[in-house]
Amino acid sequence: MKKTLWSAAAALAVALTATACGGSGNTGTSPTDVNPKGQIKPHAISWLLSRPADGAVIKTMESLAGEYAKDHPGFKLNLITTPDRPSYIQKYETLAAANKLPELFDTDATPFAEKLAKQGRMIDADKLLRSLGVYDNYRPSALDYQRFDDGSLYMVPFEYGIEVFWYNKALLEKAGVKVPTSLDDFPAMCTALRKSGVTPIALDGQDQWPLERYMAYQPFRVAGPDYIKSLKTGKASFSDPAGQKAASWLSDLGESKCFEDGFSSVGYADAQALFTSGKAAVYGIGSWELGSLATDALDPAVRNDVDYFTLPTVSGSVTDPNEYVAPSGIGMAVNAKTFDPLVRDFLKFALSKYAAAYAATGALGPTTTPAPTIPSNATPIYSKAVADADKVGKRLAMPWDTQLDPTTNTTLQQQLTLLVQGQVTPEEFVSTMDKALDENAPKYFK
Amino acid sequence: MLPHRSRLSVLVFLLPPLLLYGAAVLLPILQSLFLSFFSWDGITDMEFVGLSNYTHMLRHDPSFWTTFGNQLVYVAICLVLQLGGGLVVATLLASLTRGREVIKVLYLMPAVISTVAIAFLFQRIYATDGLINSILHAVGLGGLARPWLSDVHTVLAAVSTPEGWRFIGIYMVIIYAALIAVPKELEEAARLDGANRWQLFAHIRFPYIRPVWLTTTIMATTYALRGFDIPYLLTNGGPGQSSELVTTYMYKTAFTSTNYGYASTLSVFIVVECLVAVGLIVLLLQRKAES
Amino acid sequence: MTTQLMESRRAESPSSPSAPARPGRLDLHRLASRVLVALLVVIQVYPLVWLFTTSLRDAHDFAANNAFGMPHSFTLDNFRRAFEQGDLGRYVLNSIIVTAGADLLIVVCGMMGAYAIEVLGFRGSKVVRAAFLLGIIVPVQVALVPLFIDYSKVGLLDTYQSMIIPLAGFSLPMSIYLFSSFFSYISRETYEAASLDGAGPYRIFSKITLPLSVNTIVTVVMVNSIFIWNDFIFANTFVLSENLKTIPLGLQNYIGAMGKTDWTATFAAVCVTVTPLLLVFLVLNKAMIYGLESGANKG
Repeated sequence: MKKTLWSAAAALAVALTATACGGSGNTGTSPTDVNPKGQIKPHAISWLLSRPADGAVIKTMESLAGEYAKDHPGFKLNLITTPDRPSYIQKYETLAAANKLPELFDTDATPFAEKLAKQGRMIDADKLLRSLGVYDNYRPSALDYQRFDDGSLYMVPFEYGIEVFWYNKALLEKAGVKVPTSLDDFPAMCTALRKSGVTPIALDGQDQWPLERYMAYQPFRVAGPDYIKSLKTGKASFSDPAGQKAASWLSDLGESKCFEDGFSSVGYADAQALFTSGKAAVYGIGSWELGSLATDALDPAVRNDVDYFTLPTVSGSVTDPNEYVAPSGIGMAVNAKTFDPLVRDFLKFALSKYAAAYAATGALGPTTTPAPTIPSNATPIYSKAVADADKVGKRLAMPWDTQLDPTTNTTLQQQLTLLVQGQVTPEEFVSTMDKALDENAPKYFK
Repeated sequence: MLPHRSRLSVLVFLLPPLLLYGAAVLLPILQSLFLSFFSWDGITDMEFVGLSNYTHMLRHDPSFWTTFGNQLVYVAICLVLQLGGGLVVATLLASLTRGREVIKVLYLMPAVISTVAIAFLFQRIYATDGLINSILHAVGLGGLARPWLSDVHTVLAAVSTPEGWRFIGIYMVIIYAALIAVPKELEEAARLDGANRWQLFAHIRFPYIRPVWLTTTIMATTYALRGFDIPYLLTNGGPGQSSELVTTYMYKTAFTSTNYGYASTLSVFIVVECLVAVGLIVLLLQRKAES
Repeated sequence: MTTQLMESRRAESPSSPSAPARPGRLDLHRLASRVLVALLVVIQVYPLVWLFTTSLRDAHDFAANNAFGMPHSFTLDNFRRAFEQGDLGRYVLNSIIVTAGADLLIVVCGMMGAYAIEVLGFRGSKVVRAAFLLGIIVPVQVALVPLFIDYSKVGLLDTYQSMIIPLAGFSLPMSIYLFSSFFSYISRETYEAASLDGAGPYRIFSKITLPLSVNTIVTVVMVNSIFIWNDFIFANTFVLSENLKTIPLGLQNYIGAMGKTDWTATFAAVCVTVTPLLLVFLVLNKAMIYGLESGANKG
């Protein structure tokens, strides 16, 4: 009995190893062969994605795929969407582990994706976009957002946005505070707003990434975009001046009660509701919310009081006021293993028509032209945001959650909440984080 | 054993369940056990690391011990609510004369509502201006009000309660069925001998339902040791790691950190932990039965 | 394992379970317990009521006003959005197929396994039982990556089976445990008498064990259906196509950009999708109670 059990286990082990190793020995197209020879044979392809089911990207791509299918009978684009990001990531990683990723799949420019790219599992998007003749249409910053640290590009963006601080003019006035011109004004602003009886800043603490943005702001201003790039590999540390400053700033934000009470368990929709119902004065979110914050979908009670300001600088700032977080969303990677003339031809068709079709929905796209059609029910803020998006500077503030190795990132998210809640001091925070970084970064970026 | 059984008949009955179980459960567990000796991120080659995942878990990973402690508290709260609550409600129900069927169904309601909705409801109940704090203010205990899910001292209890609460109905139904099977003559006799309610329960009813109690205890304990979704949805283990359980920690290790080897080590631990727990329960309840 | 107790002891409990002995003094006590029961019912039912009322509030009202206060609005728009953004009928159908399929496997395999172990008996039955018990306690998350790799090799991905098999497999141990503890209450004499009449193991199974197990089957189905109906993790891992999505996966359709969820539409969808399970519950519960009461009142 025992013997058979062990031999069975051994057989299993062999089977599993074979699969695991199968990952690296890849057949299919070479990642740089962006124009494979052969006939275009229509067949169904799939796109594993993490975007809202009824959002503009999916709707646009669906209709383009329908058009393409008319001329190519037998073609079909299956859109498999998992909007909830953690669930998507679980699915995507499981498929990657089993080497079963479909023709197209979404991913951020994470260290995990970089590993996939290094194994030759993704088509070089830089070459692909050039060969399709659409490369120059893209906003440089939209492409830069998708690049890995070495400048290589493996993902195609489908969205674009700027992340700004929305605020309620009336509430700021009532508290007697002006729009902050420096990040260092935040604590004082919060104190004054608290005194006037409103929540200073609405924060979706449950999803972790919004608070992590606050961690990135000070270092981006005082040390520039390179800090996070050296930090993640362990070349820089949290105890560097930039990290120290970020930690003490966040601790100050916590002490001046900037965020709503119990923010750590407030979700996305609830945080936004705090702002749109006039209970909170400031709300940091991207232009993907223009539809809710800059149209008549917004509660009339606050509609005329809503405006936004972009990321303030600090004294001695090394980055410019027009440089801040401008993400082009999760990108789409093209699977090298299944890349064939059909996939290429469909992408050529879809990507050359995408810009115009997407702009017509009123959303900001990853290309410079055409400009989005401003919806008829928009407030003036809508066009202001569209104009600002065109003025975004060269250096990008990257969200840290796509940069750090996942384990350090998880620790950072946990520690940030504790720091802002006052459960750990900035010193403790810095030392815990440096320890986590030491332990995980070298292993991950070896 | 049946006198007329044959080897073939045993096989006929045993094979289908064994096949299903082997393919769906045993195989992946063995594969997981195997993975626990490796370092693997899911995409690059696997690397044999011997026992180092295990030594890391037991000796160098404070997170693991934190989450283990949390899990024990979580189990304790679930058990008290599900078994204690289930027993109390079942006893109350047994004393009713009418409407029991309806009430039983009503009690099962929370169990059928999707977890996502339950988590969202409790997020509202625990919120700063939520139900609990409003009630506290209303009865003059405003000083006790707090953001329950953000306070590191209350969050663990706060995420355990919904899980315990929602399945009370199941355990209640099971215990209730056992309770009403207790022969009435036994109770009558004891009553005539002057036994009070507690004695009646401790000496007549409880011994009678002990086998069912054992089953429910094992069910509740193992489900709680595997508890995952409510804490995951409500707080995702936070703030810090105050409500992180071994299960959510394992899930994150596997799918956030893509450290499948170490995640497998953690799951091997969960299996062992459950085995020990079940062993203890059986031992404890059976010894009591003997004494 | 609950009802079986009754059945085996039916003969010993001829009086009705609700027969009170001394009315006078107990009335006050009974009143108190009734109040308590009512209070607890409120606590248990409240979420469903809240869910339902929330699904009838408009999104602005829900966002701006107290979530527990009286609704300031009434709208069916949430239901319209729920049906528009998701194919609710399809999700419910898929959930029913998966739940029914898994329940069937769990009951059939569970009874067979328990019968082999408990009634037929064989050398090594203790080992087999222990191996099954191991499965009660295995966390399902551990099996995801290996299972996915295995399924992709045998082409089971993205099928109903890929959800049914692991869900049934992981519920099987508890089912075997419940059935065998029930079977152990059926007296040896019953079997021996049948054996003397010349009945073989198959006949005994179909003529004695199966008919006696109806209530245990109901219990097993009820307990497992709840977990299977709500399963997200297996469905999310193994299912790719839209037309195989179960309810928990379908509820994802109400999540918008960056995780912004349309909660009122979600609740409307939850209200719609919870209904079939509630109905099944009502029916099964009746069956279970019928079994109980008829047994208890026979004497």
